Amino acid sequence: MNNLLAIDWNNTLTVVYFGLAMVFITLIFLVFIIGLFGKIFAPAKVLIKIKLPRWIHPAAAKHEKEEYESKRLTAEESAAIGMALHLYYDDVHDVESAIITIKKVERRYSPWSSKIYGLNNLIR
Amino acid sequence: MKNLSKHIFFLLALLCVAFTLMASAKATTADENATAVAQQSIVAEQPASQTVVGHFVEFIHTTGIAAADWRTLVMLVIASVLLYLAIQKNFEPLLLLPIAFGMLLTNLPLAGLFTPELFAGGQVHWELFRDGAGLLDFLYLGVKLGIYPCLIFIGVGAMTDFGPLIANPKSLLLGAAAQLGIFATYIGAIALGFLPREAASIGIIGGADGPTAIFLTSKLAPHLLGPIAVAAYSYMALVPVIQPPIMRALTTKKERAIRMKQLRTVSKKEKIIFPIVVTVIVSLILPTAATLIGSLLLGNLMRESGVVERLSKTVQNEMMNIVTIFLGITVGATATSDAFLNTQTLSILLMGVIAFGLGTAGGVLLAKFMNLFLKEKINPLIGSAGVSAVPMAARVSQTVGQETDPGNFLLMHAMGPNVAGVIGSAVAAGILLSMLT
Repeated sequence: MNNLLAIDWNNTLTVVYFGLAMVFITLIFLVFIIGLFGKIFAPAKVLIKIKLPRWIHPAAAKHEKEEYESKRLTAEESAAIGMALHLYYDDVHDVESAIITIKKVERRYSPWSSKIYGLNNLIR
Repeated sequence: MKNLSKHIFFLLALLCVAFTLMASAKATTADENATAVAQQSIVAEQPASQTVVGHFVEFIHTTGIAAADWRTLVMLVIASVLLYLAIQKNFEPLLLLPIAFGMLLTNLPLAGLFTPELFAGGQVHWELFRDGAGLLDFLYLGVKLGIYPCLIFIGVGAMTDFGPLIANPKSLLLGAAAQLGIFATYIGAIALGFLPREAASIGIIGGADGPTAIFLTSKLAPHLLGPIAVAAYSYMALVPVIQPPIMRALTTKKERAIRMKQLRTVSKKEKIIFPIVVTVIVSLILPTAATLIGSLLLGNLMRESGVVERLSKTVQNEMMNIVTIFLGITVGATATSDAFLNTQTLSILLMGVIAFGLGTAGGVLLAKFMNLFLKEKINPLIGSAGVSAVPMAARVSQTVGQETDPGNFLLMHAMGPNVAGVIGSAVAAGILLSMLT
């Protein structure tokens, strides 16, 4: 207990409060900076606007737009389709034995391997 | 379980054999003086057999078995347990395996692979290096002089994608909250009687960032480097064990099932500007953090710029692997029985795990607090990834999230706070360094 009382708690708590506050201040500052240059440099969203004829009824135009939006794929759906296609085409590929050893030649004699007609034979 | 009992039985058998040999060696030594006269006469009569026995006893004395004591055996058991966790349980084997083997090497009696006297009192005694420094002593200089942490940080930066953080800057707040453990443990360590510099070095274990812990400790409390490094790396390896119970205790099932909106695409331009801007801002605010932040973001700039592909690959693979081996084995080598088996080390290990737990809790609680104000709720489980431990902590968030909802993918969302934690712990280290030096 005496040991605890002997500790300079003011100094300790100052380090803790100031330290924690500085961590938050620095990182909050970074949040704003990153947010700011995110707004400047973020890639612009490509919005495909559908052109509808002027004479179309507003309700019909709204319906048309909603239908168009519903047909658009989200990134997750695109990824799932891509993965499915990849797996499908992976399966299509032939499964080979992967053994590429030269088959044994059944016919052992051939003029090409003949010792009689070899170039090294001495002329008698 | 069956395997574990087998292993334990094997270890016990090994200990029994070792103790029997030690006892026989000691008994022989004790009898030696008492029977000296009798032996002399026997020697005269049976010189050949006595010579054999004498040589055998002499040999026994030169072995490590005779020099081993219970402390050595305890350290060897600890090293074996860590090796078991690394190999069998796959707990961060890249780190834990070299650390555990370094621990094993340094505690082999009479092998003299590591010389703690060269680094006594937290100083490098260069004059002693000429006489008897070994390989591990030379490799340890990289830890002592703060070289390895910076090299590791370059590698970490080159391997890290800051995209999730740039896409969701609010993650930085979770990274800041997870530093709560550092400062809370600082108070606890002071209460336990540690000096402020020692307490700061112990607290930084809560940042779950090995290189930062080593860097700060080598500056503030070099004499505690061994236990702190072992604690930091061991707890980082044990993230999947320590974090989940805390995460489950602090969140409801409904909160754990929150699905988050997909992150926006981050342009290459943003990724290139990010390391430059952050280095400048953080270094201007905290010059003491410039070394760590600069190293981290240099590595990241190499990766994102795309113009130094070779350098980026080298720091990610070859350099990172080499430095990890050196760091792991030398950090493990500092865990000698004298340095490790004392109450101070035990309290450091205890405070370390508390720091880790508080850091995890801090991140989760801030995420819950943020949910009170945010329209698009965030899953509080990603808050726990605010302690660094990249990418293990993010993987834990993903795993715990999928326990509740197998279709919920939190990994990319958790990577934001996770890399924010690396920046946060480096900033916290810089603040402690500037306040306590």
